[in-house]
Amino acid sequence: MTAPMEVREPELGDAENLDRPWVVIVWNDPINLMSYVTLILQRLFGYSKTKATQLMMQVHHDGKAVVSSGTRSEAERDVFRLHEHGLWATMEQD
Amino acid sequence: MALRSPIRRKRDGTFSVDLSSAERDLLISLADQMETLLEQADPTLVRLFPSPYGDDVERNEGYAALVVPELTERRLAALQVVRSTAQATQLTEDELVAWMRSVNDVRLVLGTVLDVDESGIAPPDDSPDAGRYATYEYLGMLLEIIVRAMSR
Repeated sequence: MTAPMEVREPELGDAENLDRPWVVIVWNDPINLMSYVTLILQRLFGYSKTKATQLMMQVHHDGKAVVSSGTRSEAERDVFRLHEHGLWATMEQD
Repeated sequence: MALRSPIRRKRDGTFSVDLSSAERDLLISLADQMETLLEQADPTLVRLFPSPYGDDVERNEGYAALVVPELTERRLAALQVVRSTAQATQLTEDELVAWMRSVNDVRLVLGTVLDVDESGIAPPDDSPDAGRYATYEYLGMLLEIIVRAMSR
């Protein structure tokens, strides 16, 4: 027999927070090569060369670009992989 | 006739590597220096470990405590691959990725120390930074060669 599950009372705002996805942002920096950033976006996210190049150019010209979005844990995984490859990435709730 | 790239993808999916012994010795030396910096958590490594949560101090501290040690381990493992394959004339894709990440890491540290900006202006030849800048430029060229070899 299993013990009854303890049910946590939802806190105010939880439902709203769960609905709002997290976005992962890559920021421009003067050191990383444009070709390297493009290749990493292709390899980590499976983006086509065209899409990865567009995102890289957005980082270059606008200073930042949203490269992925999802749950908090998905965003944390993506940030980890970007940091592992030396890209300057942050995450925030949209 | 186009010059052959020193790093090329072969039909079997591995990569041929044609670098001089001076270049290979430099890679080993840089890997050794990078390992020392990582073990000392040197402040010049700041660009390798960005704070992911903007101005949320508490979450950034959690990331520094939980995730940065794992990122450090991954970097040390990649450096170990560079050292153990530095003399190889053929690399697997995973090994070349370790080279690529390590070369980029060293560039990030050198770029931080040199405080480079997007102007691309080199320090004067008699500056104490001239040697470091030459290494930074060389690693940029090597990284570009690796990226081209891997790009599809």
